[in-house]
Amino acid sequence: MTSVSVTPQAVLDRSDELRRGLDGSFRDYMVASLYERAGELAGRSVREHGSGKWDFDQRIDRIVTSRWLGLPVMLLLLGAVFWVTILGANIPSQMLANAFFSVEAAAASWFESMGAPWWLTGLVWHGIFRGLAWVVSVMLPPMAIFFPVFTILEDLGYLPRVAFNLDWLFRKAGAHGKQALTMAMGFGCNAAGVTSTRIIDSPRERLLAILTNNFVPCNGRFPTLIMLAVIFVAAAFPPAVAALAAAASVVAVVLLGVCFTLGVSWALSRSLLSGEASAFTLEMPPYRRPSILRILYTSLIDRTIFVLGRAMLTAAPAGALIWILANVQAGDATLADRSIALLEPLGTAIGLDGVILLAYVIAIPANEIVVPTMLMCYLGGAMMMDITTYEQIREVLVGQHGWTLLTAVNLMLFSLLHNPCATTILTIWKETRSARWTALGALMPLGLAFLVCLATAQAVRLLPL
Amino acid sequence: MSALGICVAAALLIAILAAPKFGLLARWQRHRAYRAKSRSEDALKHILAWQHRSKLATLESLAGTMGLRPAAVLRVVAGLQTAGWVESGAGGIALTASGERRALQVVRAHRLWERHLSDDANMPMGKLHQAAERAEHSLSREQVARLDAHLGHPQHDPHGDPIPRPDGTISALEAVSLNEWPVGRPALIAHLEDEPQAVFRQILLANLRPMQVVNVAESGPNHLVIETDGGRHRIERSVAANIHVREVRPQDALPADRTRLSDLAQGASGEVAALSPDCQGLSRRRLLDLGLTPGTRVEVALDNTFGDPRAFRVRGTTVALRRQQAEQVLIRPVRSPDGAEAAP
Repeated sequence: MTSVSVTPQAVLDRSDELRRGLDGSFRDYMVASLYERAGELAGRSVREHGSGKWDFDQRIDRIVTSRWLGLPVMLLLLGAVFWVTILGANIPSQMLANAFFSVEAAAASWFESMGAPWWLTGLVWHGIFRGLAWVVSVMLPPMAIFFPVFTILEDLGYLPRVAFNLDWLFRKAGAHGKQALTMAMGFGCNAAGVTSTRIIDSPRERLLAILTNNFVPCNGRFPTLIMLAVIFVAAAFPPAVAALAAAASVVAVVLLGVCFTLGVSWALSRSLLSGEASAFTLEMPPYRRPSILRILYTSLIDRTIFVLGRAMLTAAPAGALIWILANVQAGDATLADRSIALLEPLGTAIGLDGVILLAYVIAIPANEIVVPTMLMCYLGGAMMMDITTYEQIREVLVGQHGWTLLTAVNLMLFSLLHNPCATTILTIWKETRSARWTALGALMPLGLAFLVCLATAQAVRLLPL
Repeated sequence: MSALGICVAAALLIAILAAPKFGLLARWQRHRAYRAKSRSEDALKHILAWQHRSKLATLESLAGTMGLRPAAVLRVVAGLQTAGWVESGAGGIALTASGERRALQVVRAHRLWERHLSDDANMPMGKLHQAAERAEHSLSREQVARLDAHLGHPQHDPHGDPIPRPDGTISALEAVSLNEWPVGRPALIAHLEDEPQAVFRQILLANLRPMQVVNVAESGPNHLVIETDGGRHRIERSVAANIHVREVRPQDALPADRTRLSDLAQGASGEVAALSPDCQGLSRRRLLDLGLTPGTRVEVALDNTFGDPRAFRVRGTTVALRRQQAEQVLIRPVRSPDGAEAAP
């Protein structure tokens, strides 16, 4: 035998040369031989004990994906998640709010007794601190319940079954069945939902999933929806079923979001993103026993603390901004009053009001602070008002600021449809690297939100209700 | 005040016109450069196509294909001559060696892009050509090389044309026109010509695909009757001229007693015989990766509300496939232990 010196380049050249001689089916043979070898190894070393686990999974799957029960079971599970969240979050929210506001009152009077200037006390305690207090007390309890419960469903392996159940609808809309999975991520956070669209291979269907992810209400928007559901829907029902009714109305909003997702996907895949549905294959993993410790860790540390931290980062400057707007005089009115007056006509036209629109402008960085901002604007420069229960919030909104059922419904619609938060917009840009798709992803929902709210407001005003 | 206004307006106007990247002038310049590039590349492709038919392109043939006025064609050809890519002789215009390499690069970009659109984006065959006509001029060589690697160095485009190699060589198509194929002998479709479009549409209407086995059942003076999996079709000889076929090799033949995975009834099982030949690229790789290799047992596991997709048990896992994917898995029905049998 002679020894030949082989350079890496020579190997590459030789492989290039050999590749030309291969016919296209060599990949089939490679995969088949890999599977054959793996099967042989598994047959030698793996022993199966009956098919109990498989049969058990099959029995569950037959129910959760069955022709008649599949969709109702899905709605029921979703409803149960919201019901548990609404039922459990109410009291801790009140306790947190009480605690924070007694701190605010005590700290503010301590500042005054130390001789701090009025604006410093106002900015720090009635601005920044109050913004943070609202965000934490409104958001922390629902998140600390919603995320773990939702993570249990995820950990069980239920979400791929949802994608399986809904794929037909997505196919009809020209989209990919895995879009259902990215939407499920969107419940947590739309930015995370947009990133998770990487699981979709086809660029066209991935763009569809990116552009419509916003129609899934994220966790930052659930407090708004839950608050409205409790104040306006639950209040209309006897206490025994109030929480159920509130949960049902949140489910209805989510379903509406799904309808918008499908409708907008359908319209886009017949206009800007025309094309055929691509291949769809989905592995349905076996059910697993959820590991409680990991669920608590991922849902509380990775999600709750992460989302809350982000909300607090934007709530602090937003709180300061609102305090400044409410306390700086321009002419004979405060800046807040002036901007609210400016937005009022537009707000009224779409069934909302100036304060709500101002809250949405201030909340562009993060949707979580919409409700706190709104409440701070409504309560204005007024000192400590003990607004800690939902009944008191209802009294402020309906009694003092003329909210009607239309306001509540349109705020729910606006919250569902309006533009994504700044983080999500930035994520869309990072994922698409295109200013045009990013602009479309931000402006299309906003335009749709205005249109839909305008339509309902005008319809309600024209109809003799 | 008004002077200031005029200054601001003038500055704005200048910015709109002359901004370095987004200004109208810059856009116009880019557009001109792109148009010149795409025209000269289209001309190179045309001359190459005629050379493959052993003919020389002329100014008239160029003007006809490209839809340009003679003066514009002259400018394009002059540009190609300056670049040293073509030589004009008495009989017409011929490519130089470097011109042929350049033309083959454009063809390579075109065919790889078609492969990408078909495999990755599942674009229907009838739309590929138009989309690739646009993309071929804006892909850099580096992008083409990346695309080639991403697609796994394919040899043929979706309708069977060989893809030129990076060094500017191309393998010849070993196939004859369907018109010349004897009656009664199975043939494998090697290539479908996608131009002119009207003829290609006829081919697609008959649901013909590369790698499909056809049988000429009847041969008339102006038409042929062919049989495929999808039934019998009558096609004009002018259409058959654009269909190229070759001998069926043993590895191309599909098993005789096959049905499709999509036809299995709930609870029935089968054994994978092969993947349909028109399932290529990403979707073929995905099905193989899921373990749907020949000989594998498959069982229908789940239906859902809408009857599509359905889930199948493959190698101990549950895999959901849309009807379109399940149709591409050819199986032999197997009697399952509980006595259920595959639907006909």
